[in-house]
Amino acid sequence: MHARTCLPHPRLAGLILATVMSGAHAQDSGIGVDLQFGDDLDPAGMVGTGCDVDGASWLMAGRERTPSGFLYDCIPERDSYRQRWQEWYVRGYFGLGYLGVGGDDRDSTWNRYNGFEDGPIFGMRLDMQRPADGSYLDFRASRIDSDSEYYRLVGGRAGQFRLQVFSRGQSNLVSSNVQSLWSNLGSRNLVLKPGLTAGATTQAEVDAFMAGNPVSRVSVTRDKHGLGLSYFLDPRWTAYVNASHERREGSRPFGGPFSFGRLIEVLRPIDDSTSNFNGGLRFAGNDWRMDFSYTGSFFRNGMDHFTYEMPYPTTNNNPVGLFSYEPENDYHRIGANFSRRIRSAWSGEFSLGLALTHMRQDEALVPGLFACSGMLNATISCDNWNTPASLSQRSADLGIDQQRVTAKLVLQPSAAVTWRSQANFLREDYDGNYVAFNPLTGQFGYIGENGAFPNTTWRPGASNNVHIRNLPLDKETREFSSGLDWRLGKRNTLGASYGFTRIERTNREFRVTDDNTLKLTWVNRSNDWLTLRLNYVFLDRSGDDYNFDPYEFMYTHHAPGFVEPANGLAPHTTTALRKYDVGEKRQNKLDLMATFVLPNDMTLYASLRAEDNDHDAQIGRYGYDTLAASVQWEWQPLAGTTISAWYGHDRSGLDMSNTNDVNTGRDPGLGGTAPADGGNAAYPDGYRWWMSDTQRNHTLGANLRHRMGRATLDLDWNWIRAKGITAWVAESTFASPTATVAGLTGAFPDMTYRVNSLSASVHLPVGQRVALRAFGSWERGRVFDWHYAGLDDDRTTGNLIYIDGGPQSYNAHLIGLMMEVKL
Amino acid sequence: MKRPLPSLPEHRRHRTLQACLLTAGLLVGFDASAAGQDDTAGDEAAAVADAHDWFDLRRQAAPPGNVEAGRTKALLCATCHGPTGAASVAPMIPNVAGQSADYLYWELLEYKRGTLVESPMTVLTADISEEDIRDLASFYAVQTPGAHTVEADAAAPDPELLTRGEHLYRNGDPARGIPACQGCHGADARGPAFAGRTDSRGHAPYAAYPALRSQRDVYLQARLAAFRDGKMRYSTTDFVMTGIGRQFDDDSILALSTWLSSLEP
Repeated sequence: MHARTCLPHPRLAGLILATVMSGAHAQDSGIGVDLQFGDDLDPAGMVGTGCDVDGASWLMAGRERTPSGFLYDCIPERDSYRQRWQEWYVRGYFGLGYLGVGGDDRDSTWNRYNGFEDGPIFGMRLDMQRPADGSYLDFRASRIDSDSEYYRLVGGRAGQFRLQVFSRGQSNLVSSNVQSLWSNLGSRNLVLKPGLTAGATTQAEVDAFMAGNPVSRVSVTRDKHGLGLSYFLDPRWTAYVNASHERREGSRPFGGPFSFGRLIEVLRPIDDSTSNFNGGLRFAGNDWRMDFSYTGSFFRNGMDHFTYEMPYPTTNNNPVGLFSYEPENDYHRIGANFSRRIRSAWSGEFSLGLALTHMRQDEALVPGLFACSGMLNATISCDNWNTPASLSQRSADLGIDQQRVTAKLVLQPSAAVTWRSQANFLREDYDGNYVAFNPLTGQFGYIGENGAFPNTTWRPGASNNVHIRNLPLDKETREFSSGLDWRLGKRNTLGASYGFTRIERTNREFRVTDDNTLKLTWVNRSNDWLTLRLNYVFLDRSGDDYNFDPYEFMYTHHAPGFVEPANGLAPHTTTALRKYDVGEKRQNKLDLMATFVLPNDMTLYASLRAEDNDHDAQIGRYGYDTLAASVQWEWQPLAGTTISAWYGHDRSGLDMSNTNDVNTGRDPGLGGTAPADGGNAAYPDGYRWWMSDTQRNHTLGANLRHRMGRATLDLDWNWIRAKGITAWVAESTFASPTATVAGLTGAFPDMTYRVNSLSASVHLPVGQRVALRAFGSWERGRVFDWHYAGLDDDRTTGNLIYIDGGPQSYNAHLIGLMMEVKL
Repeated sequence: MKRPLPSLPEHRRHRTLQACLLTAGLLVGFDASAAGQDDTAGDEAAAVADAHDWFDLRRQAAPPGNVEAGRTKALLCATCHGPTGAASVAPMIPNVAGQSADYLYWELLEYKRGTLVESPMTVLTADISEEDIRDLASFYAVQTPGAHTVEADAAAPDPELLTRGEHLYRNGDPARGIPACQGCHGADARGPAFAGRTDSRGHAPYAAYPALRSQRDVYLQARLAAFRDGKMRYSTTDFVMTGIGRQFDDDSILALSTWLSSLEP
């Protein structure tokens, strides 16, 4: 658990240049190649755009409010078209500047996705329109460095076609605290640096090597390119096609085991890509709307595996590890959606959606052995296991097929009542079975860790219980829901809906689960200045008979020829375990939201949210509760001035329990007596333990945007404080192999994430065409993650080597200056 | 707060310069944009006015004037508009009795600035003060509208034209992007019922929407044509009507003006 993942990064620099603009400006109203583009200096894809002081309408100056009382987003400010080129009206700007960073500016928490570093920065926008025929062209670009940049061109002709092309690079600084032992990061075969010898380096030598080398950074860069075209066949029919390709390159920390306690963290090379494609036809008429589409997604690996050298001696004298990558896979979906407006006394709309999906992976399978030297299990004949002929099939040949039908009916029997009903059907079929069988030897099972594990194969007549086949998880979901919204005059709206979901699964703990859901809503607008919204959800999930071990069929225990051991088999788990994702539970959720409409375009929003989950489990997750409250205040005292502030607090508690096992016990029930005490219990009471995870988060912030004549000032302040506490209670020292009497009750050190950031930006026009934009930010982070405790001093312990030292506290700042010239 | 008139674009400055030369004395200390505002609203209006050269009637209210003073000052106006503004002497001269005070105030200011279409009023308003304008607007606003004189030899309006004009006023012409006129000018064409409604900042953005009922047809035709031709662009209400006026053709203008002028006051 990492506390930092629970909270948004303050994104200081992003706030500098696009303070109150939402990402919506960067989005396409229809299906697009890519709906998000930008970088951390320009996250919304439109540098420095503020609100148009002339407002959204000539009818009234103030910003309109949503039905729930919030102010709608303001209209982005744009220069008027200043130039004319032939029949084209032209506007835009070109910006060139310099970014300087300081302090702990190489820290990965501060620098995670932004790529900030000393150097020139660049931004541009070109907007052209030709009123004569409705042609338009919009080009936007921003560059921080070669790994963080975007270029996007949208052009077309109103009513005829729309073309979009983009290219984007985004860096992901995974860690800035890495001690790399390998010289050729990112390559297929990681080779130890000079001074380290594979299989012949002592812990002291590794320590000395690390002490003599500074930590470095590892990152993954995403480069994405796309193309999209919509062609309007006539005012109602549109044909569209979109394609994109993303490639990811770099390295990231990854676990690399060697058997018998030897663990080394490695830097896994990343070289893979995803290609997406979709196309179809869309119809929009007065009564009918239709869409026929195909979507495809294709994941490809640049490498099917990588190897790495291990510095320590290994028991099998083969100090090279190997990992396979995730298999390449294809995804295809064809879909059709129909919507028909209903023009009767009960006006409304009926929608029907159909979709067929096929996912497939059929990559060549890798044999269990890749190196024959020094295997621990001398009984294994390497030649019979290091060839694809040792596999029951040469490729994976696995797939998942889905069929989905969705029907939705919305009716308005009267102006005061809206009746919504929806039914969904989804079927998922796993296509393909894989049984681990070696036709060369007649054995079932696999070779674990290059032969390090001796007992992972089985042949008829033997008694070892080995995992030998894949796990199909077929599923069929049927959902129905219906609800009413009833407007009681102008002041109150009541809503109630009931939903039923039945899921039938194969090879899971419950064959059938039923969800019954009741939702109640109340909206009150008794006062012009207050909108009150209350939502309550009750969910009850129940199932048929709980099968505590549905995976037994994947083991040789169920294979013909299995010989039952004299003392029986040890259970895989206890009958008391309840998997929380499918297990029975009761859930209560309550949301209370109040929006206060105050004079002079001032808005105050307060919310309270609570969720309670009772999983009714003895072993497993048995409780998860959350409570959150927030207050937001926004004020627009002048047309060019916006002030906002906010505070949020949330807390959650996750409770789970588990039990250690007695290897020799055979009774899977919880409780009883261990064999050593005369019983047969595998999970005696004394072997139990409980864990609670508590999270406490606070966020506080304020923002000011102020227009002073033609100049604009932005100020942002963000403060985050997050704390996670993980505590445990053990029944006895039997609960864990490493438990002590003194440690039966305890807690890990608090995980903390505290960030304080301040940023400022001034946009100052100099003359009619030139403007200066000066910005800066300062951020201090205090981070502690006990998973990495002590690694700053020593990253080796026994046979373990840690490469990544984890997140660190930091104090970083940036300052930048950009000159913008209007075209 | 005293502040000068907002600046005008280059192509308007020449004519404005002439007006200013004639009325330089009256312009000293003239306070139009901030009139009738509280301090906050005045600051806001000033900030907005810095950025453009038009009256933002969404944020600005006409200040009240003195009705009795207006009565005296209207003696000269009576020559054309009648004693109470209810009896214009020519079809191109509007009736102003019972008209919205805000509308009259901003219209007269625009004449004075030289931003309205050139007319005798451009010269006549050049020498009057902002206080005069306030008083005149307040005086005419409380007068009772009257039926204008129909020339003896005038033909009766074409019934088909009247029907089309009424339909256009009540329903607009969605196919051409013309909204129903009654939405802003009232179901009875006496101005919007919500003229006094204020927004969250206390502004009354609809106060300057004029009454059209029983207005002179030639005057209406001239105004609608001016909107259609893009000649009205110095207030936010101009912008509203310009967007609509561009959709008008000659037949629409004739139908609307004919029907509106045929209505009883």
